[in-house]
Amino acid sequence: MAEATSPSPAGPLNGNGRARTSRPPRPNYRDIHRFPLPVTIHNVPSVIPHNPLSLISVALSYLSCLISPPRKELYTAYFDSATSAVHVTDEKTINALWRMGFFGKGNLSRSEPSWLEREKKRRGYLGGNTSEEATRKRRAERRELKLERARVERQMIEERLKAEAAARESGSMASDGGDAVPAHPTLEKFSVKKAMEAKYQQKRQPAQQNGSVTHPDGTSQASNGKAVRFSPVVETKELAPQINDDDDDVDIELENEEHLQLSNEETFFLAYSLGALQVVDRETNTVIPTSSLFHRLCHHSHFPPRTGTADLEPDDPFLTSYAVYHHFRSLGWVVRSGVKFGTDYLLYNRGPVFSHAEFAVIIVPSYEHPYWSETQERKDYVARKQDRSWWWLHCVNRVQAHVKKSLAIVYVQIPPPQSSYDDIGGVLGQYRVREFLLRRWIPNRSRD
Amino acid sequence: MADADEDVIRAPGADTSQIDTDLSDETQDFRLLSHLNLYVPPTLTDTTSTSLPKRGEKDFEPNPTEFQADVLSASRQAMHNALAHPRIHNTKNRVIGIYAPDGPIFPDGYVETPKDVGKGVGVAPDCCIYIPSAKGSVFQGIGQADRWNRLWLLPEEALYMIERGSLDIRWPTSMTGTTEEEEGDLSIPMSLQAAYACMLGRAGLTMERYTVYTGLKRLGYSVFRASGWDDSAKPETPTTGDEPDAYTEPRQRGPGLSGILSCIANWMDDPFSTASPAAGPLVGCGIHRSYGDVYRRMSLIPWYDPTLAPQRDPLDTIAPFRVVFHVYKPSTSVKRSALPSPDFRIAVVNTREQTTIPTLPQLSALLQGTPIDPPTGEKMERLMYMRLRHGYRNVVLAVVDQGVSSFLRIGDAAFGKEKMYDSKNAPRGQKKHGNYKPRKR
Repeated sequence: MAEATSPSPAGPLNGNGRARTSRPPRPNYRDIHRFPLPVTIHNVPSVIPHNPLSLISVALSYLSCLISPPRKELYTAYFDSATSAVHVTDEKTINALWRMGFFGKGNLSRSEPSWLEREKKRRGYLGGNTSEEATRKRRAERRELKLERARVERQMIEERLKAEAAARESGSMASDGGDAVPAHPTLEKFSVKKAMEAKYQQKRQPAQQNGSVTHPDGTSQASNGKAVRFSPVVETKELAPQINDDDDDVDIELENEEHLQLSNEETFFLAYSLGALQVVDRETNTVIPTSSLFHRLCHHSHFPPRTGTADLEPDDPFLTSYAVYHHFRSLGWVVRSGVKFGTDYLLYNRGPVFSHAEFAVIIVPSYEHPYWSETQERKDYVARKQDRSWWWLHCVNRVQAHVKKSLAIVYVQIPPPQSSYDDIGGVLGQYRVREFLLRRWIPNRSRD
Repeated sequence: MADADEDVIRAPGADTSQIDTDLSDETQDFRLLSHLNLYVPPTLTDTTSTSLPKRGEKDFEPNPTEFQADVLSASRQAMHNALAHPRIHNTKNRVIGIYAPDGPIFPDGYVETPKDVGKGVGVAPDCCIYIPSAKGSVFQGIGQADRWNRLWLLPEEALYMIERGSLDIRWPTSMTGTTEEEEGDLSIPMSLQAAYACMLGRAGLTMERYTVYTGLKRLGYSVFRASGWDDSAKPETPTTGDEPDAYTEPRQRGPGLSGILSCIANWMDDPFSTASPAAGPLVGCGIHRSYGDVYRRMSLIPWYDPTLAPQRDPLDTIAPFRVVFHVYKPSTSVKRSALPSPDFRIAVVNTREQTTIPTLPQLSALLQGTPIDPPTGEKMERLMYMRLRHGYRNVVLAVVDQGVSSFLRIGDAAFGKEKMYDSKNAPRGQKKHGNYKPRKR
């Protein structure tokens, strides 16, 4: 089960892919995501010194660009001020933004917009699994195993109680001298981990196990905890999607009800840094120019959103988080929200389909500029803004250690208020970032 | 599919010992202690019976079985036994120390010769316990000898040795009024309580620092005070504000010829540059030749380069964010007279006094006080994640919350020095198929 879910390898065809039966071929992620950003690249033919013809080809390519400048792709998104959110509804744009740089999140999916595909599968039009389904299946299996464990444990307790009662009966007859309770039936504890492993092993040799599906009831399983069998419920569940497959062949046109939702940082990055996105105000149906988009996103980083005329504050949450987002994006990381692990961002190498996020980022503002320590009022304000407790830090750190990510604390230096926020580059250039990597130091394990 | 990360959490194949499970986090199973033969009489040299115990199974909720009740009461009894076990000072190697409430003193009857004036006793002024005639090396890596063959101990060293049962300390004759002849076995022993009362709070020794010290000592580390021990110590030459700025400014044109050349190179790159940082798009609307160029043109946010930051005096820091302990691994051979560069530098924080995590100036000063320790070595060259995790400077924060200490290693990372878009730089990590393969760290 697990292997089918894994959204992984870049390779189109796995060497032993055929041996592993009915699994649909994995998409060729290396090809799908070959562009790291939604920007078109026009390669210049390389100059070969001993071949003068190569110069001509270079010149030609320059000329062709001069004469007919290639059309630049401009995508469109909608800003909805009621929800402070940016939506993309056009299918082509959704695909482009997801495939080139992993921007946005499907509003009905966990990340990649896959609702339509899922829905089709649910109705039996398509074979194969989406990652959501695989995860759901795995969770269901784990749940079964946990129930099984609870059952085994309950049974152990009952047996022990019985044995104790029997011992008391006989013990009251005999003198109290010896130990009252006889040797307990040694039941091994049921381990979900071991069960999952066993299942994995079982999967690897499907041929041997195929015929024998009939298992004895729970009692005998419990006694040999290591070779765990699975309740029939799980097996039928696993089979369920396949049965549906040939139910109906009617090809109904399903309407895609999902849209892509861009975070404010992503929106601004696409619009301002790459110039690949224009944002349309849903109410007025007009394109928002970049500078007013900047102001608007800043205002909408507060709750409730500030009105259009309010001054920007140098420590607007949007400004701080965008500085960090831009910093890591410009270094080539794929930056996505880290909310599921309690952090601000997760940093992916190349993208989530290729590798697990290695770093989790939390943002802490820093007010080093002398402006912030000029008056007592400002000092209090700054202290409040920087206040993070040790317990919070330990919590975040422990979670990251558990999911095998390294925690990076990124301090952003907040400049004093600016007279004008029109020069976006000039404003953002004053937010300096500094990263610290944090991890638990365990004396027991650092001795040599 | 970013959520595939969650798979890692429950990867059952992952060796749990690899995830940092810290055994010291668990409650101790005191029953194991009763199997351990704590006191081995000197006549018995048989050590086979003293093997290390193994941990048993854990029950997570109460159940009505007598078995569980028995286990519980056995545990309690074992704990009582362990705590009630008599702690014995072996008469053979009993060491007696004498408390010196006013710090290092000269031996009685010593008159300073003009030659020795100003030399003092020759030990650290915070020492307050001495062992009169220390023969050989009584304690390894602890204490400082003076000219009269007396071994002087710092308060934390003395407390640690008393707790270990290796030291017995006496009130000084000056405080008890006993005469000279009675010295020796007739002097008045100091109780453990009195020892704590006298030592803690003395010359910067807080309970938090003592907790960290004794914890590390028990694990076999060599721990020494660092120069930042005294909170009020100031650097001899305070830093002036004119040290070089360690933040790289991506938007600045370099000075002189190189700046002009880079401008020309930029123009060659993108002759019809439409890049406008003020209103966007940052990368321009022109024709892009490679993604590397696009990324380079996007660099806008100044980032900190630890290699540019000058080394600062370790005293130029803000307490409690200053290094108070230098720690050496048990394998490192340490001589007090010539201490090598420490394996770890530890700052101790009391969470009840410093309730918030450090601010950037505090952390920055703390790290700049440590020597630069760049990620070098064959493995580091190869593995980019490892380089990033190692950082350029590092320090260990011991965060003590009411007696519970947790250690955090803080590394000065420089993500800006590792350009992910340079494909040769980036690790080609792939997700492994299936959830059962543990990821290598």
